[in-house]
Amino acid sequence: MHIPDGYLSPIVSIGLGAATVPAWGIASQKVKAILNNRTIPLLAIFAALSFTIMMFNIPVPGGTTAHGVGGTLIAIVLGPWAAVIAVSVALVIQALFFGDGGVLAIFANCLNMGVLLPFVGYAVYRLLAGRAPLLSSRRAVAAGVAAYVGITVSALAVGIELGIQPLLFSDASGRPLYSPYDLNAAIPAMLLAHAFGASIVEGLITYLGVAYLQKRHPAYLTSLRGVYAPGVTDDGAASSRPYWQVLAATTLAAVAVLFAVGLVLGGGNPGRLFGADWSQVNWADVGTMLLVTAVIAVVIVPLAYLALPRRLKRIGAAFALVADIAPLGLIAPGFAYGEGGSKDVQAAFGYIPQGLQHLSGIFSAPLSGYTIPLPFFSGANASLWHAAVGYQATGIVGILLCGGVILAIARLLRGGGTVPDLPEDADAERHPAPGDAAEGIGA
Amino acid sequence: MTSPAVPAAPDQARVAASPSRSGDRRRDGRVGWLEKTLGGITASIEHAIFTEQHARTDGWLQRRDPRAKLGMFLALVLAASLTASVAVLVGLYALTLGAARASRVPFSFFVKRVWLGIPFFAGIVVIPAIFMVPGPRLFDFAIGSLHLAPSAPGAGGAVLFVARVGVSVSLAVLLVMTTPWADILKSLRSLRVPQVFVLVLSMTYRYIFLFLHTANGILLARKSRVVARTTGGEQRRWISGTMGNLMSRAFKMSNDVYAAMLARGFSGEMRARAFHRMRTADWAALGGVAAIAALAVLGGRTLP
Repeated sequence: MHIPDGYLSPIVSIGLGAATVPAWGIASQKVKAILNNRTIPLLAIFAALSFTIMMFNIPVPGGTTAHGVGGTLIAIVLGPWAAVIAVSVALVIQALFFGDGGVLAIFANCLNMGVLLPFVGYAVYRLLAGRAPLLSSRRAVAAGVAAYVGITVSALAVGIELGIQPLLFSDASGRPLYSPYDLNAAIPAMLLAHAFGASIVEGLITYLGVAYLQKRHPAYLTSLRGVYAPGVTDDGAASSRPYWQVLAATTLAAVAVLFAVGLVLGGGNPGRLFGADWSQVNWADVGTMLLVTAVIAVVIVPLAYLALPRRLKRIGAAFALVADIAPLGLIAPGFAYGEGGSKDVQAAFGYIPQGLQHLSGIFSAPLSGYTIPLPFFSGANASLWHAAVGYQATGIVGILLCGGVILAIARLLRGGGTVPDLPEDADAERHPAPGDAAEGIGA
Repeated sequence: MTSPAVPAAPDQARVAASPSRSGDRRRDGRVGWLEKTLGGITASIEHAIFTEQHARTDGWLQRRDPRAKLGMFLALVLAASLTASVAVLVGLYALTLGAARASRVPFSFFVKRVWLGIPFFAGIVVIPAIFMVPGPRLFDFAIGSLHLAPSAPGAGGAVLFVARVGVSVSLAVLLVMTTPWADILKSLRSLRVPQVFVLVLSMTYRYIFLFLHTANGILLARKSRVVARTTGGEQRRWISGTMGNLMSRAFKMSNDVYAAMLARGFSGEMRARAFHRMRTADWAALGGVAAIAALAVLGGRTLP
């Protein structure tokens, strides 16, 4: 999420300073007023902590890793203004010393991660935590959700900053001068990548971090609280809810939200949820399709689990399941399902983003429309479950293709060995490689 | 961050751009999260040592006053981001290479370090844009229903974008590699950055290495003691416990540091020792570079 130099025009990146610099000024005033001279070592050390937390790789399901920012965690413990300074200082050091993020872009980066993130995170935390006792599990969950929202909003801000570049700064021939993606591309790219990846990690880490503090060092959550956020209820015993209750409540809430959104989109008519005409659905067909889908799932998922190598077992089985249940969307009538082509988008939004029009020419895949071009699957009077099977087959082929391509690229990159090495003199300083002694041990 | 999305990529670039990679790989060739973190921490420490070493060798840029250097750097970075001409960017890069040569920065390291890092990812990020930007097509290569048709403005924008990112990153690397951190901080003072910030920055920098050292110890201790395969949930609980533990140390440490500062007479005021003097050569270099930057922006308007 660190924007390097060259992505933003200097007018934007320096102009954002108009928001960042006053925030820094107010932050240092506030923090000084609350914590006095004690502030300086406290802030310096928490900035160092924030830097160290940004270095931590966290294991993510599926075998990859991600790293967190920790801004919300610091905001919860020290208050949002102190978090502004701690994260900003860490970002400045990253930019000036480690070349992570641009120097001119420092205002933009500090605004996104150093100002927006702690404030949004802290506001959501206060909202969700309400007046719950300080050591309740509700506060830990609220912290996790708050961190998720905070970092996602910060990613959205990055998407907007990058997305306005081609609109504002292109020359006469339409050549983009800075980041070339407009809002239609930059915002979804940033939002999706974070909402389903880094944000989850950040939320999880913040949740676990607050839970750890509640259990082991409750004093840190209580001692400063009265200073910067008076009026919040104090202490209280730790209480926790059984896991199934949390899960059930979340599921219920998700269904309720979906229903509400569907009602809004359907204009308040329960028969037209999500704007689709549900009376057109042939429910007998749907029943057959569900049955076929269930049978295929029962066969495919265990098969994937057994057939795949151990590393890929879980993730592979999960992908197989997703491919299998994907065609359930075919039930919805009147609206093309999935990432429809430009025609569907045009129908839905009334215009085609120009870029998509060119792109669709490039990527019109052989299995276009996500089904197999045989009469059995896509004929005019093929029944619903035929279409569903075609859908599942193309889904699995697609997943295999993507996996193959990614694997091939990974092999190529690894084989290429294009990693810059240290010159001789610095090699002597190299610390003993920590992993050598214990190879193969550990996670 | 995990994803291959637009600006998330530079985060991963740090791994590729770091001066070395610790050779800890698991037997099946994959690098685990623990090894990755250890490698990242080690690389940061190495990077710091390596940079400080080069900042102290005798070269043209090392001899310049840090304030002059910061001024030159800002002028050139501004010029690089204001110009719309690839030719000007190439010229600026040549200037950077010359300065690196004169300052005894290892040449192959400087070139590789820069171009295999962030600009490389900018290049990958920009590829789809070549096809998405509207405008006349360079050529239209059709394979069945597949059309491979890069647009002229898209390709031009991509070249400009990668060149700009590359030059900006080169300039930043050059500044950092020829200036000791303490001098960068002192010259920030002359840019009217409030003293509190400079003090916090310098203390942060010092404690970063303490924390990195501590974290390194914690991770190494785990790595050398755990023999079983552990679950993801256990690993995440452990990591967040480590973070909480570091946080509790941070609290204790800040109290101790404050007490120590009080004991040494700290009253909220910070006093810095007298600074270097700007010499004629420094003024000349600063003026020359500022003139080049202005010329690059104004004169570059007519160039492609």
